[in-house]
Amino acid sequence: MKKIILCVAILYSGFTFAQDGGYFFGGFESNSQWLLDDEGLNFIAPEDQFRSNNYFRLDYNLGKFTAGAQYETYLPAALLGYAPIYNGNNGIGTYYLNFKHKTLDLTAGYFYEQFGNGLILRSFEDRQLGINNAMKGVRVIFTPLDYLNFTGVYGKTRNGFDVSEGITQGIDANLDISEALKIEEIELSIGASYVGRYQSSGTNDSIPSNVNAYGGRFNFVAGDFYGGIEAIAKGPDVIANEGQISSNKLYDGTAMQVDLGYARKGLGVNATFRRLENFSFYADRLAEGNVYNQELISYTPALTKQQDYMLTNIYVYNAQPRLIIESYDQRAGEVGAQVDLYYKIKNGTALGGKYGTKVAGNFSYWAGLDAEYNIENRWYEAKFIGKGPKLFRDLSIEVKKKLSKKWSTVATFQNVIVDKGIVYGGALEDEENIKASIAVLEGTYKFEGSKSTRLVLQHLWAEKDRKNWVAGVLEYNFNSNFALYIADNWNYGDTDIHYYSVGGSYSKGRTRLGVNYGRQRGGLICVGGVCRYVPENTGVTANLTVSF
Amino acid sequence: MKKLVLIFSLLLIFNINAQDNIPNIDIKTIDGKTLNIQEATNKDNLVIVSLWATWCVPCIKELDAISDVYDEWQEETGVELIAVSVDDSRTVKRVKALINGKGWDYQVLLDTNNDLKRALGASTVPLTILIKDNKIVSRHSGYSPGSEDELYEKIKELSSESNLK
Repeated sequence: MKKIILCVAILYSGFTFAQDGGYFFGGFESNSQWLLDDEGLNFIAPEDQFRSNNYFRLDYNLGKFTAGAQYETYLPAALLGYAPIYNGNNGIGTYYLNFKHKTLDLTAGYFYEQFGNGLILRSFEDRQLGINNAMKGVRVIFTPLDYLNFTGVYGKTRNGFDVSEGITQGIDANLDISEALKIEEIELSIGASYVGRYQSSGTNDSIPSNVNAYGGRFNFVAGDFYGGIEAIAKGPDVIANEGQISSNKLYDGTAMQVDLGYARKGLGVNATFRRLENFSFYADRLAEGNVYNQELISYTPALTKQQDYMLTNIYVYNAQPRLIIESYDQRAGEVGAQVDLYYKIKNGTALGGKYGTKVAGNFSYWAGLDAEYNIENRWYEAKFIGKGPKLFRDLSIEVKKKLSKKWSTVATFQNVIVDKGIVYGGALEDEENIKASIAVLEGTYKFEGSKSTRLVLQHLWAEKDRKNWVAGVLEYNFNSNFALYIADNWNYGDTDIHYYSVGGSYSKGRTRLGVNYGRQRGGLICVGGVCRYVPENTGVTANLTVSF
Repeated sequence: MKKLVLIFSLLLIFNINAQDNIPNIDIKTIDGKTLNIQEATNKDNLVIVSLWATWCVPCIKELDAISDVYDEWQEETGVELIAVSVDDSRTVKRVKALINGKGWDYQVLLDTNNDLKRALGASTVPLTILIKDNKIVSRHSGYSPGSEDELYEKIKELSSESNLK
């Protein structure tokens, strides 16, 4: 409490005396829920019925200097499904001081950074997922030439209101070759990264205290084509499961990602291939595989389409980078690819109509690595691609059509196959995969004076798991500031449960408030390919955001 | 409770003194070149900056809707739209394919490390801000069909003001 007052006082005095252009920025976000007993869902509200996550961020800029802090409270309890280290806590989560002048950018305190695709290092915040793995230490970005820059980081990784035991250091360099050599026909750039973690291994000599990873990448743009490749090798480290070292051997890991794209007006295609073998990198060796995604150094999200509708979000994929060699479960990593296609059928053609028709498609296929395991010796041998078990396959197509000034429609079809262990946790390949098809129709009608209404109808067909679902959403926008909606997901194939909700939102300038009441379907909530598990619940939720 | 009071009184103070400056943040062009957002928005005409992402449905709806009338907007008011993608490294590779596949005519910039998003205090996208003479004159978060018409009313109002000067 004293700390906050002090911070605010310092910042505020800065504001009062800063007459030469200093300014504040930041924001406030509050996400709360009031959980209620619900017999129909067999849900009994926990003792802490009211739960609330709050973030108050304030930054101040004065010329070359910027400073800021973020105060967070998870009082009286954190929202359901968040890491327990936050529960019931509050305090200054992050703070920093930054100096930026010409070729130099210096930060002390907490910072967010990523090298390349983030495979080797990415620190970021996602409040919906409860992830904040900001690094606490020092970062230096040095840009001596327009086409050359270096980034150095040193610090510990945030873990709740504490920091990790391990210390991470890293350096990243990027060179824009085309600019350096004044080549105009083609864009070429290369980059190299090093990230190392030091963590004392105490008296145990067989555990390495230093684990180092090295990576390189190459990107190009040639006419309408573009692409890149990044590869990372991580040195030998122990593997751990649920906070315990699970083998007396050391294993190295690799990651590789290749992107290729083609884009011209009216058509865009993008393909990504990625292979991960024993590639999880945490700021604490024992944090490996923790379900709350805390203390992560490497960023290996699921590379699939982020689905947008209620029923297309039941069967989702969660990336499988880990090595597990146990009698009940064996995994070595994943390999797969996805392709995105965006196409616009021109205005004025038969299919395009007056406004053109927009088509988007996505295909993704992810398999476990094809590997042979020697469980007794805790050893394995994996093929580069091979024929590993199918974990996820998704094919979706979306057609968007504006029919008139008033009417626009979207039709979506998705066919998905997923391993049950991905959706519900537990061992993979235990049962036959779940197969589902989903169809969605959406229509929007615009009235005069920016009023509009939107109706979405959805159906999911599946033979296994909870079988068929039907869902609908009806939304009415009174103007650009105020909207109300009512929605229901009904699992009529198996449980006969309705997951209904009603709510509304009001936004004006810098403030937005959303309130809703209803049932939350449990399962994986994924944002940007990273997922957290949320149990089924019923209640009232309120979200308030203010930016300034 | 005390904390809540403190937070709300702070909110009030800072809301009154809310900044209308464009933050000094470096972001990237689609070809990977570094560009400061202050430079990018330093134009004679009004500039719309829209924070969006390839995975954000309302963002794409908004940009699609504006795209249909963008020629008209530009002709009448000279307004320019800069679409700043907040896609992270997972989805940023899709940006180029998507903007082309959609046939958008906007200048597209990349805020892959979300530095601009944080500096604008945007906890969600879409965030649409209107810039005139290097100052933020209006901001709106979220999108509902038809709110582009409200935005355009504001643009017309502001651009006719500057014509009078």
